[in-house]
Amino acid sequence: MDQYLPILILLVVSVALSLGFVILSVILGPKRYEKGKFSTFECGMPLFSDAKRRISVKFYLIAILFLIFDLETAFLYPWAVLFKKLGLFGFIEMLIFILILVVGLIYAWKAGALEWQ
Amino acid sequence: MILDNIQSVAFFIPELILTGAVLVVILFHVVSANRTSQFPAFLTLAAVSAAMIIAGGLGAGGTKDLFFGMVRIDEFSTFFKVILSLATLFATFMSIASLEVAGKRQTEYYVFLLSITLGMYLLASSVDIVMILLALELVSIPSYLLAGYLKRMERSVEGAVKYVVYGATASGVMIYGFSLLYGLSGSTNITDIGRAVFAANNPIILYLAVAMIAVGFGFKIAAVPFHMWSPDVYEGAPTPVTAFLSVGPKAAGFAILIRFFYEVFASRTGASTWSAVGGVDWMSIFAILSAITMTVGNLVAIVQKNVKRLLAYSSIAHAGYMLMGFVLLNIEGLRAVLFYLVVYLFMNTGAFLVVILVANAVGSEDISDYSGMGVRMPLMSVCMGIFLFALTGIPPFSGFIGKVYLFAGVINKGIYWLAVVAAINSVFSLYYYARILKVMFLESPKSSEPVMVPAVSRALLAVLAFPTLLLGVYWEPVINIAEASARFIAGG
Repeated sequence: MDQYLPILILLVVSVALSLGFVILSVILGPKRYEKGKFSTFECGMPLFSDAKRRISVKFYLIAILFLIFDLETAFLYPWAVLFKKLGLFGFIEMLIFILILVVGLIYAWKAGALEWQ
Repeated sequence: MILDNIQSVAFFIPELILTGAVLVVILFHVVSANRTSQFPAFLTLAAVSAAMIIAGGLGAGGTKDLFFGMVRIDEFSTFFKVILSLATLFATFMSIASLEVAGKRQTEYYVFLLSITLGMYLLASSVDIVMILLALELVSIPSYLLAGYLKRMERSVEGAVKYVVYGATASGVMIYGFSLLYGLSGSTNITDIGRAVFAANNPIILYLAVAMIAVGFGFKIAAVPFHMWSPDVYEGAPTPVTAFLSVGPKAAGFAILIRFFYEVFASRTGASTWSAVGGVDWMSIFAILSAITMTVGNLVAIVQKNVKRLLAYSSIAHAGYMLMGFVLLNIEGLRAVLFYLVVYLFMNTGAFLVVILVANAVGSEDISDYSGMGVRMPLMSVCMGIFLFALTGIPPFSGFIGKVYLFAGVINKGIYWLAVVAAINSVFSLYYYARILKVMFLESPKSSEPVMVPAVSRALLAVLAFPTLLLGVYWEPVINIAEASARFIAGG
């Protein structure tokens, strides 16, 4: 437990220090309220629309499809590196894996997930 | 015996059949223009039956660890695979009979059903925390989709969304618990983790891990306080799905709960007894959970007006009863849980089948619309009586025998308070089960014309009612199988 004591002290000091600065600035700082202060970015560009816009649900479909094929690549890389070592067994194993994914892709295609009307 | 990848394939045939069936149904969806074809349903029946028979045969050949210790084939996992396959088969027959599902596009429905079955097979047999997580998600994600299958209905979507949010959170917490155990042991295999826990003397970490893993498994078996999703999901989902979710994934959850805790947090002290290890008294935690689960389930069920919702709360209560056997750390308790799962499979599915038949006839699931069903559908109403009295635990029905074993185990172990709570709860449950029967038999019907029950449904009713009756008078073989299966936990 002894070796954790410095960490505890650091934690207490840093919390006290940051809290102290916040409290001091609330007490001592000048308070001038104007319109610019209440906008989202006081020093940024003027806002032109709300951030809470609805995003088309099709983005999610694309994202899910992307995820699947991204993972496939993640599997293919180590497989390709070890291709000679794995031999025929590894080749057939990967074929089955890709076959299953292709069935999924055909389904997604047929269901219209790739069309953007 | 640990097998490598190529040797394992021969023992993995049931799962491969299910995977193949999933692919065929998806391809069928792509090539077929007939959207209401019954082909996926029949393929599901064939694939699950074949998987069940082959899995039953493979289970007799001794304990084997497949894929370098990812999945274990033993009598315990085989027992559960048969129960889970039966749950899927019943759900498929019910889906064929139900008007909620029959008129709609079927292919995806059966893809989800088959995927859940595959996930449950893996869950019942996995012995590696990575595999457990993977199997749990394979059960959960298609369940979310099935819960929201009636996507035009608000309550279906509401249930599904709640299910997703709860499920994701529960999995997240559970993985955190797993990671603590991994940090402790440096292994993902639960037997190795069990050894590390045995050697470790760090109750704080272990208590944390137990609590977090209990969240994940408790969510799957719908134990209070992780049950909030289940009434909404059960009410919103199509009734065959509700029947399936309240039996199949729950049984699979119990399988992994028992295997995980008896392998990791307990060590064998004799042929049929265990003791807790690592200074963690998880039995008391689960005993309290059990008492809370059955009490909340039963009390809330009393005020329900919708039969599906009522049965949802009753299934929460039954998870509580089954947890009683889980905390006993002896073979008596385990075989009681396994036996109760068999009994529960038949009686609970049967009750939901009657809900489907009534909904097909009157288009409603409110208790008040059940009035006079005893006159309009006499045979079906008598079956409902059998199922509900079995669920209450009244002799001579099978639920009584199931409860006798659970109570006897708890009393022999000396946990009297839990037995008292369970006994009081059984009395509560009589009230709301009997209320449905009172409406069916004693209240005058809204219209007196008799309702025809199709032959398939009548046959299925008989298939479900017969074991419910038989296991109440002749249960010896099933309890023996349950005991033999339970012995195989933790390298018996």
